[in-house]
Amino acid sequence: MTLSTSNVDVDRAQRHQRERRERRMPGDAGRPLSQSRGVMRTARLVSTTLVALWFALPFLPLVLWSFANSWSAPAVLPMTLGTDGLTAALANGAVAAFGDSLLLSLIVAAIATPLGAMAARALSRRTLPFGRLVSVLLFSPVLLPPFAAVLGINVVLLRAWVPPELGVILVLVVVAIPYTTFSMRVAYAAYDDGFDEAARTLGATSRFTLWRVHLPLIAPALARSAFLAFLVGWSDYLVTLVIGGGQLVTLPLIIASSAAGIGNESSVAVLSLSAVIPPLILLALVSRARNLDPGKQS
Amino acid sequence: MHTWSFSRRTTPPNATTPRRRALSVLATTAVTALALTACSAPTTTPSGPEFFDWSDVQVAADGQTVKLWMWGGDDQGNAYVDDVLAPAAAAQGVTLERVPIADTKDALNRVFTELQAGRNDDGAVDLVWINGDNFRTGKQADAWFCDWTGLLPNMSLVSDSDPLLTEDFGTPVDGCEAPWHKAQFSFVYNSATVENPPTTIDGILDWAEANPGRFTYPAAPDFTGSAFLRSVLYSESGGYENVPSTYSDEAFDELTPALLDRLEALAPSLWREGSTYPATSEQLTKLFADGEIDMMMTYGPATLTALVENGTLPDTTRVLTVDDGTLGNASFFGIPSNSGNIAGAMVVANEALSVEQQVAKADPAVWGQFTVLDLDALSAADRELFDALPQSPVVPSFDILSRNASPELSAEWVPAIDEAWRTRIAAGQ
Repeated sequence: MTLSTSNVDVDRAQRHQRERRERRMPGDAGRPLSQSRGVMRTARLVSTTLVALWFALPFLPLVLWSFANSWSAPAVLPMTLGTDGLTAALANGAVAAFGDSLLLSLIVAAIATPLGAMAARALSRRTLPFGRLVSVLLFSPVLLPPFAAVLGINVVLLRAWVPPELGVILVLVVVAIPYTTFSMRVAYAAYDDGFDEAARTLGATSRFTLWRVHLPLIAPALARSAFLAFLVGWSDYLVTLVIGGGQLVTLPLIIASSAAGIGNESSVAVLSLSAVIPPLILLALVSRARNLDPGKQS
Repeated sequence: MHTWSFSRRTTPPNATTPRRRALSVLATTAVTALALTACSAPTTTPSGPEFFDWSDVQVAADGQTVKLWMWGGDDQGNAYVDDVLAPAAAAQGVTLERVPIADTKDALNRVFTELQAGRNDDGAVDLVWINGDNFRTGKQADAWFCDWTGLLPNMSLVSDSDPLLTEDFGTPVDGCEAPWHKAQFSFVYNSATVENPPTTIDGILDWAEANPGRFTYPAAPDFTGSAFLRSVLYSESGGYENVPSTYSDEAFDELTPALLDRLEALAPSLWREGSTYPATSEQLTKLFADGEIDMMMTYGPATLTALVENGTLPDTTRVLTVDDGTLGNASFFGIPSNSGNIAGAMVVANEALSVEQQVAKADPAVWGQFTVLDLDALSAADRELFDALPQSPVVPSFDILSRNASPELSAEWVPAIDEAWRTRIAAGQ
């Protein structure tokens, strides 16, 4: 008897819950606007899997090649596995190049991100004189053909006796700023100045407001633009070579020179993998930063 | 954006074999434009420091760091420089650092830009592995430090009458570059599939016609493809003696029709019926490695031993020696006139010419590059060192490979023949 009443209670409670859940409208917090079922759901699953495969598949040969000591047609899989590629990559200075790349990219990100944020803030307030012109100028590095621009700038930098390492950083920051500005403008378009105003009204100093209110709110966007700026430094070949003048031998430089030969496939694969992994780790960190977004938690 | 100049090639570094031709044209245009502006720039042409004798150089070189800009696509070459040449330079008080580049033009670009900016004595490029076209471009722009090779003690080991070393593709060397090693254009075949290899260049073309789809050559202006065109020109003209090495329109009009007729007739028998050609010698090597063709060619036979050993090429790969001889050239070290470490660069170039270094580099297990030293002029003991080198199972020794060798034509011939091939053969695809 008691057993059956409790069963009835449980049933009722479950029904209640189900009804309450059903009463929640699409678009309520935590609910999608529409729910796909049946065919659409399957199609979505299949397409997601296909896209994931599309992104993942190119890495498979890269991983295989990294550990292939010999692999020639028509063999479908590597014939002998080993670490020859790793040895060759290390002998070609992979470790030093990795360090140089990391340092360069971090410096570029550290400079281009705050500059981009400040530019985006100024542009989003619409109080800037000639705002449109400024944004065109900020975006112009994306439009210029890099080869011509870099050669021209290099003559200027050399005439001005700018040390090559500094020249590389300066030019890469300019290349990165359009990306950081753009991603910060998106963030500021959705940013509510009311948070800052409320904090100031409650007596917070402007510095306190910046550090405890403003920056935490735009942190996820800052992380995203820093990631973009990092990528600019991380993948650059032309600026590093032409302006760096051999002072900085980064990963793209040794990958390019290695890939220019034949029979280096396994060392090129090792180098390429080592070039792919740091951005992937950063991407994971950046998406974690987004989860900490207070706006998402509410 | 970082792919603009990923040209792919094996040795030697003069090869202008871009994977993306349009981009290379851009790069070439930029180099030429810079060379021209460097020429016309009002800045005084730097001539570099003056040295009275070798000890003068050694004193100045002590403690210098030399940046050697070299094509980085050859792991064996990189390892030789890092593990063999650099320690030897360090023993002379010079630090040698390798700057790996995808294209030798990148080094020239840097030098021209610096000269244009008036940076005449602190350039970033101290030494370049160079020859042919790049050397000529630099010489026209007065970008090389000259008249220095006579000071190198080890130049006495080099024959001063060897045409391969006194002229670089028809451009007089004039002491503006020091020899490093020799290369011989070579035909390569798979002995498992080619039972009776031909013995002449004409025979190779006949073989290709008898075995449709099993032969092709890189499209000009790839360095190797272009060398093949010159080889066939020699063969069709009845030997290199019949082709004047200096270019003239008359000689061109008289000699090239036979070459083009022959190649046009050959085209349908080529890989994919000649509808397409590999763009680079690396793509050609790949076709050979994958068994799509049975015969190929290379201007860098030194790399073959290692490619067979690491399984890239089948172990039945053999070098074909042809009776009518093949083209030969030499690679050099050039010192930009605005290098800040000219003395150090000279010490490295001299060290690279020593018997020990030339022997070590000639070992197929190290790099397998042919020596530039005059073997007949060496002491018996030194000669012994070369004779004792292990024989490559793939590449014959230099004296066999270079038998009846033909000299390279002057650099003006190269674009003329390439262009004729492009408009007549490639356009008729």
